[in-house]
Amino acid sequence: MSDKDDIETPVVTEAAPILEDENCEPAKNSGSLDLSAKPESKSEPVVSTRKRPEFKHSSDLETSEVLPVQASEAAGKEAVSKDVPQTGWGYWGSWGKSLLSSASATVATVGQGISNVIERAETSLGIPSPSDISTEVQYAAGETNAKESENSSPVSGPFGVFSTISTAVQSTGKSVISGGLDALEFIGKKTMDVIAEGDPGFKRTKGLMNRTSTLSQVLREVKEKEELWTSNEVTIETDKKTHYGLLFDEFQGLSHLEALEMLSRESEIKVKSILNSLSGEELETLKLELEQLKEAFSLAEFCEEEEEETKGDEDFTKEITELFSQLHVSSKPEKLARARNTAYEWISTSLAKPLEKKEEGEKQLEAEEAEQISNSSIEDIHAFAIRSLAELTACSIELFHKIAALVLHGRKQEVSAIERSRALSQMTVLLCKELSSLSKEFTTCLTTAGASNSASYIQDAFQLLLPVLEISLIENKTELPEA
Amino acid sequence: MEAIWLYQFRLIVIGDSTVGKSCLIRRFTEGRFAQVSDPTVGVDFFSRLVEIEPGKRIKLQIWDTAGQERFRSITRAYYRNSVGGLLLFDITNRRSFQNVHEWLEETKVHVQPYQIVFVLVGHKCDLDTQRQVTRHEAEKLAAAYGMKYIETSARDAINVEKAFTDLTRDIYELVKRGDITIQEGWEGVKSGFVPNVVHSSEEVVKSERRCLC
Repeated sequence: MSDKDDIETPVVTEAAPILEDENCEPAKNSGSLDLSAKPESKSEPVVSTRKRPEFKHSSDLETSEVLPVQASEAAGKEAVSKDVPQTGWGYWGSWGKSLLSSASATVATVGQGISNVIERAETSLGIPSPSDISTEVQYAAGETNAKESENSSPVSGPFGVFSTISTAVQSTGKSVISGGLDALEFIGKKTMDVIAEGDPGFKRTKGLMNRTSTLSQVLREVKEKEELWTSNEVTIETDKKTHYGLLFDEFQGLSHLEALEMLSRESEIKVKSILNSLSGEELETLKLELEQLKEAFSLAEFCEEEEEETKGDEDFTKEITELFSQLHVSSKPEKLARARNTAYEWISTSLAKPLEKKEEGEKQLEAEEAEQISNSSIEDIHAFAIRSLAELTACSIELFHKIAALVLHGRKQEVSAIERSRALSQMTVLLCKELSSLSKEFTTCLTTAGASNSASYIQDAFQLLLPVLEISLIENKTELPEA
Repeated sequence: MEAIWLYQFRLIVIGDSTVGKSCLIRRFTEGRFAQVSDPTVGVDFFSRLVEIEPGKRIKLQIWDTAGQERFRSITRAYYRNSVGGLLLFDITNRRSFQNVHEWLEETKVHVQPYQIVFVLVGHKCDLDTQRQVTRHEAEKLAAAYGMKYIETSARDAINVEKAFTDLTRDIYELVKRGDITIQEGWEGVKSGFVPNVVHSSEEVVKSERRCLC
């Protein structure tokens, strides 16, 4: 036990800068108030308009709570893989299953590269013991191979449980190994949240939004964990390049999401107060119309779409531009299209599927090109893939944020909220597909985590637009009574 | 090491439409001048690290607001979570200078219970021949509100760096003195991560191994 004492010291200093600052502030009790409020709020159902709590404290709390244990956990990978099963293996197991069934498609296509993929998945997700997992992968792959044939997309399935958890897992994974129980607890809570919803099969991502914390808050939390981890691992600076959350923030994805949430919340409050002020027939008519809007928001079939061949640059740009014009907002999706096309250019020039030994002859590889892309560039591909997904996702969120701003404050347009909702819904599908096919381009060296996260972020952002469209519908009604 | 910073400050940039807010920010964050740009929709985001003392970095999260009146209700919502602000006017546009009062009044109402450290920025100072606002009167106005005044040009890269870093330093001093504190539920100032007290897990592992021996 004496060794624990020795190890504990550095861990304490780790948290010191944050705690120090907080001790300085006079209004300290307000902080602790919130701390006690936090756990109970977790179990509360939907309160999406609730003022966002500060989460820094929660992570501090977790850290200080579990400090003694954490010290031993922090001792190293070996310690973790041995100790974890007792405390949290149930969690690992449950998400592992869904992870694996979704990963199995990847595994199937890659075939021989199985250990490669596992290793890659292991480094990205921070799965504690590669050997444990690989055994499970083989089981899972065997089980699901028949059902999930190659044409099932590796990213189409896991929107529900897996994506929510992998958000946490992917980013906290490293700190599970190095940081210990606090991260495990963090993942555990997220896992429990999802399990508590009791619907592991659900395809659409209600997951992140319908809980007490807002999406951007969850993501910020995750990013801060990543940052903490990154600053801990000062020696492995390059790994920052592959941290989805950090990159997503670097492309201002978090900020746009936060701004979108603000608009969404505001609209929601307005809608509610208007509904409260109405009665009788007026109320019923409005409710009916709002119901139609809601339908448009649930129409989008995000997954299980038939596979499409990768579209050309023009197609995507054309399609997104067309959908955008249906929205009648004075803005263009140029930035998004540019980011998307840059990614594909990069793929076609420098990647061209070098590691895959696929039977399908699509995009045949020149021998010299293959040599050019040596093993040393695998890291680059991985980094670029994560970066592209993060950028594209951030651009998509930015687009949704701008749409919200323009719907609310743009000049009056000859378009109904319903029409806009339908276009938005289609746009969401298009963007998710695009991300999915982009990530497929990177499949050989990527886990599916990035893409499924991206897709769920976009879908959540899309859902945030509902109140915005609702209020715009109401305002249009009141401004054009004759129409 | 770029991820390591002492604090994060959220700054807001406000002022009339077309005074050059986005251009100033882009010059500061991207180091280039964009001649043509569409009017900002709602709000845009930029970030940059600033080294205020050797080894002490501050991450600036800059909220670039739309100057257009129609977005005012959106941009208002952002004052509250900012610790600092650049209030811009165009020295060749008298009207934008006259509106400075209005901007300050508006922020005062919406920032509560917090406060924002503002700097008054006379922008487009490269266009001195078209000047409609003298330096003297701008300085007087700034002083009346307890602000600093600085003249900048995004096109010629004059004082752009200084405008942001001076403001950052001033805020940093206030934070150091405890006049501004990190608060629950407020995004204006956040603390970052300090590298030198951090021990990597590798070291921890090593030290444990030594103990076992």
